[in-house]
Amino acid sequence: MTANLPIVTGIGSVSPYGSLAGLIPPSLLEPSLEPSSTPWATRGTRRAFLVDPFRPASMVTGLKTRRLDRLSAWALVAASLAIQDAGIDLATVDRYRVAVIFATGFGCVELTESFYRSAAENGWSGTDPITFPETLTNAPAAHVALLHGLRGPNITVAGKSFAGESAMIQAASLIRHGQAELAIVLAGDTLTKPVYEWYEAANLLSPSCYNSDLLANATGFVRFVPSEGVAALVLEPAGSREAQSYAHLRSGRWAAGGQPAESIRQMLGGAVLNLIVCAGNGAPCAASPLASLARRIAGPDAAIVPPQAVAAGLADTGALLHLILALSGRPRSGQALLLATSGETGFAAIHLELP
Amino acid sequence: MTDTKETIVVTGVGVVSPYGEGLASLQLGLLSGKCCLAPVRNLYPGFEGTTAQVGELPFLGQGASSRYSRTDRLALAAAQDAVADLDRASFAFRESGVVMASTVAGLSEIDPGIAQDPAAWYRHGGLARAASYPVSHVAASVGEHLGIHGPNCGVSVACASGAVAIALAANLLLDGAAPMILAGGSDALCPFTLSGFNSLQALDSGPCRPFDRNRQGLNLGEGAAVLVLETLAGATARRANILAVLCGWAMTNDASHPTAPHKEGTGLAECIGRAMEMAECDADEIGYVNAHGTGTLLNDVAEANAYRKAFSGRSCPIPVSSTKSYLGHCLGAAGALEAAIAITAIRCGALFPTLRLKDPIECPGIDWLRGEVRRQPLPLAMSVSAGFGGSNAALIFGSGRP
Repeated sequence: MTANLPIVTGIGSVSPYGSLAGLIPPSLLEPSLEPSSTPWATRGTRRAFLVDPFRPASMVTGLKTRRLDRLSAWALVAASLAIQDAGIDLATVDRYRVAVIFATGFGCVELTESFYRSAAENGWSGTDPITFPETLTNAPAAHVALLHGLRGPNITVAGKSFAGESAMIQAASLIRHGQAELAIVLAGDTLTKPVYEWYEAANLLSPSCYNSDLLANATGFVRFVPSEGVAALVLEPAGSREAQSYAHLRSGRWAAGGQPAESIRQMLGGAVLNLIVCAGNGAPCAASPLASLARRIAGPDAAIVPPQAVAAGLADTGALLHLILALSGRPRSGQALLLATSGETGFAAIHLELP
Repeated sequence: MTDTKETIVVTGVGVVSPYGEGLASLQLGLLSGKCCLAPVRNLYPGFEGTTAQVGELPFLGQGASSRYSRTDRLALAAAQDAVADLDRASFAFRESGVVMASTVAGLSEIDPGIAQDPAAWYRHGGLARAASYPVSHVAASVGEHLGIHGPNCGVSVACASGAVAIALAANLLLDGAAPMILAGGSDALCPFTLSGFNSLQALDSGPCRPFDRNRQGLNLGEGAAVLVLETLAGATARRANILAVLCGWAMTNDASHPTAPHKEGTGLAECIGRAMEMAECDADEIGYVNAHGTGTLLNDVAEANAYRKAFSGRSCPIPVSSTKSYLGHCLGAAGALEAAIAITAIRCGALFPTLRLKDPIECPGIDWLRGEVRRQPLPLAMSVSAGFGGSNAALIFGSGRP
């Protein structure tokens, strides 16, 4: 399992912190980000962690995104920033060996809603042919491939609670099996009124979504503040070129149930952890088992980073942003575990070695 | 010598198609040449066209219809069929994984009212229906319904989804992520996709004619297929009946257009080549290609060009057919259903012709199957899928017999 183990060589993100290549600067992390008011009309104040509107072409020259879902536009920007951060000259790479793996919970909801609106207004016989293909869940990954000419495996995955972790693990698998020599891994979602109101109707929102005096503190909440954004990582085999390394991805597992602590210990194979990054999705079911599992796995010297509200708000797709925040926020070295739980016994765990 | 931990085998196949439930009904339908495509009206107001629909679904337990979308229920029925012979108390079953593809997922349960006043729509019964919207819900439902605990993953790669799910599951097995994985795809017919393809003028109003010069477009269908995949070592240890070997798989992307395939089929040809490389076979050894073959103007030409390139070294033309002429295009389920068909072809020694193929696209090097079922031993068969966004996938199945 040690051959072709990938390293993270590039990071890009479009998040409530802005559009960034590389780690998030400390100046943006302190003080903690506060949720802002949602732009859609409601019967009172509703708050969420939102991406400030921006022109994608201002980040990636020549990018045309007018007809794309925001999720596709953000995926294009985040992937481009990650490639830039990795310092890769794609002209020198075999494009058939570059994979794109995108994780999403809801896909292109904005244009899906737009398609439904056109059906409501014009009937199903009067829907818009330009919008339809852009509603497909794999549109963001396809646009990333199209923009950069990436002809390797192009995969969109979704997973209850662990879509981001699943994407990372499967990208590593493609590299390990020689099906790709480089992988762009992305994870994210956009927030729209119907998605937000579904959270609200399902009673999943934190009190701080309604009251700005309540802080969206990840460690204490029992519900969550929805968030949006796309995070991207570049993975490539260790030693394939002179490149920076944010982390070495040693192994990963996820499961819908079972014996999380035993499975994770077996995966770690005796490695002594220095850091556990909790990547809970913030929903009530995730909070308690995650903390107790982290304590069970952690050795005496391991620091435990609780879930961060901005990333937790991404629900199924927060793993990459959690990792980026953890790498941005504390000194990095040694063995680390990215850990998430779902329900009573579902878990995802990725073993990383930090330089 | 075969490395039994690196060899992926198929030990179960579950199918729900317009022919009914089970691989036997699929086999019988294909061998009899029965076409499931039929005229249909008012799947939404004003719609007139041709589709292939699944009849009544098996009973899945109390409350299943309120918790699960039609796509979920198709998947559950196929999964139950796939694991019918498994010991559900075994460790391998409990720890197995699920990789299920879908493009429609819970869109089948949502109507335009959600876009007008979402809160009111949720209040009036939409809350539970919307819960089945995410693509992940299909895989999660299968895992939950069968009580299995392994890695659980949804896949959505447009019309290549089902084949990609099988390829990803094979990778996970090689990684030791689970002792076995249920992999496949499921999609239900729904107004959203019918309207979308209709708006693109991609639908043939009559039964489709893949690879015919006079083809007019595709017909949508619905269904689900689930393969039980495991390593040869695992299957041998539990004395499982091996239905087929997954000898090779590959995925590529055209990166040329958001919806149209690359005209020359370059990405697909590369994909086929990579799958043959993994299977360690040459072009002459593939006895049959179950093509993507949608019946659209652009797809079929690109695909023919891909076959011309990928099989250029053969001593005789490559036999190719599209079984979408029987079942329609089942979107996210198509790649999995067609994998099941390729396995059926191997097991029956039968090459299924494309129905209604009278005047095939001229393409040297391709033996367009038409007319009667061709009977011949078939050691290796390939299933090819492609989709919007330029994705391609190729799976090579073998009988496993020397």
